[in-house]
Amino acid sequence: MKKAFLIALALTPVVASAQEPPQKIDITKLPGQAAVIDNVVVPLPSEIFQVLDKIGKPVWQDVLRSVKDTRARDGREQTALLLGTVIAEGFIAVESEDAEEVKKIGRTVLTLANGIGVQKAVIRRSNAIVEFADKRSWQQVRLQLDGALGDVKTAMVELEDESYAQLVSLGGWLRGTEALTQVVRKTYSPDGAGLLHQPVLLQYFLRRIDGMPGRMKDNPLVKKIRQGLAEIQPLVGTSDSTISEASVKNIGDIAERLVQEINAKPIQ
Amino acid sequence: MRYTVKRFLCSLLTIIALVLSSTPVLATIDDALSFALEAADPYVKEGFTVREDYWGGDLPVKQSKAIVHQLFKGNEYWFWMGTDTANAKISVHIYDSEGNLAEVAAWQKPHKAAARIVPKKTGSYYLIVEVEKSPEERTHWSLAYGFK
Repeated sequence: MKKAFLIALALTPVVASAQEPPQKIDITKLPGQAAVIDNVVVPLPSEIFQVLDKIGKPVWQDVLRSVKDTRARDGREQTALLLGTVIAEGFIAVESEDAEEVKKIGRTVLTLANGIGVQKAVIRRSNAIVEFADKRSWQQVRLQLDGALGDVKTAMVELEDESYAQLVSLGGWLRGTEALTQVVRKTYSPDGAGLLHQPVLLQYFLRRIDGMPGRMKDNPLVKKIRQGLAEIQPLVGTSDSTISEASVKNIGDIAERLVQEINAKPIQ
Repeated sequence: MRYTVKRFLCSLLTIIALVLSSTPVLATIDDALSFALEAADPYVKEGFTVREDYWGGDLPVKQSKAIVHQLFKGNEYWFWMGTDTANAKISVHIYDSEGNLAEVAAWQKPHKAAARIVPKKTGSYYLIVEVEKSPEERTHWSLAYGFK
């Protein structure tokens, strides 16, 4: 009897069966609400490019914009935004399999990082980007570009300059969004356009700009970016993820305008 | 001289004690992450790209935390949670923007939990992490994710 009990006990799974999660929750009463407000996870550019690869074969060479003026700008705000756009351009260059452009971007990342005081943090990434581009290891280049964004953020947090890291993310998001609209418009499909459905991310970026120190928030370029994001916000939809062809064009036009502003000479 | 040596040894012992007592506290989030990454390992072999960033903190038992995440239709995601606390039971679940459970798989193991989602639409999703059981007052946790 005792033996049978022991055998039965031995056969009982060691890990108790998982507690069933609720099928529905009230998202207006989430736990850790404060964390939810501040900690929206900004996706990696790779996540978007990976989907684009699956839904079609875009001609990335048409989207790629060669990086010409690689100098840091006078203002750190503009340089941070520019760094973001250059990293995003790096992803497009990878999709285009343009090794020379990727290498140029790798070096530009270093120059611009120097302009905002985080050169040390990205030097390893910059070298790796150039090295993997030489080997045409595109997946590795993607990982290094993703990592560069993370390294900039970490370095900025250490310098207590996290707001500049937000500007880098914003610059990247704007150039990525501009490129995405170009690709989606070539062969419009609701699934492709749905990639632009990012309302919470837009709210997050707007909140982060509003929470920036006064001097940064009042920077003329940052003000223009905020205004542009507010224009994009209603176009990316709220609960409905369907985005019309006309909205895709409008989003693209606004993003293009903002990217041009970021690339312009410093505003005096 | 004898007094100085005694005092030196006392100071040394105090420093060693302080270092030993503080090390687990410092190490614990990294330890939690190492369990999360251990959980990720088989999926990396399946082609998932693991993001280098991670999220973490500590929670009391029966308390959860929400993380808002932008996910894209067309990708597949795994979220891996880890804790360094032995005998703790942790969980991670994924809800869509309307609050519906959206994961296609989830599991719990000692030190680890995970959930998988193939988003039906692009948009915001809510990750709910929870410490269901733990011998500790507060349990350190860490969350990583991967996509393909």
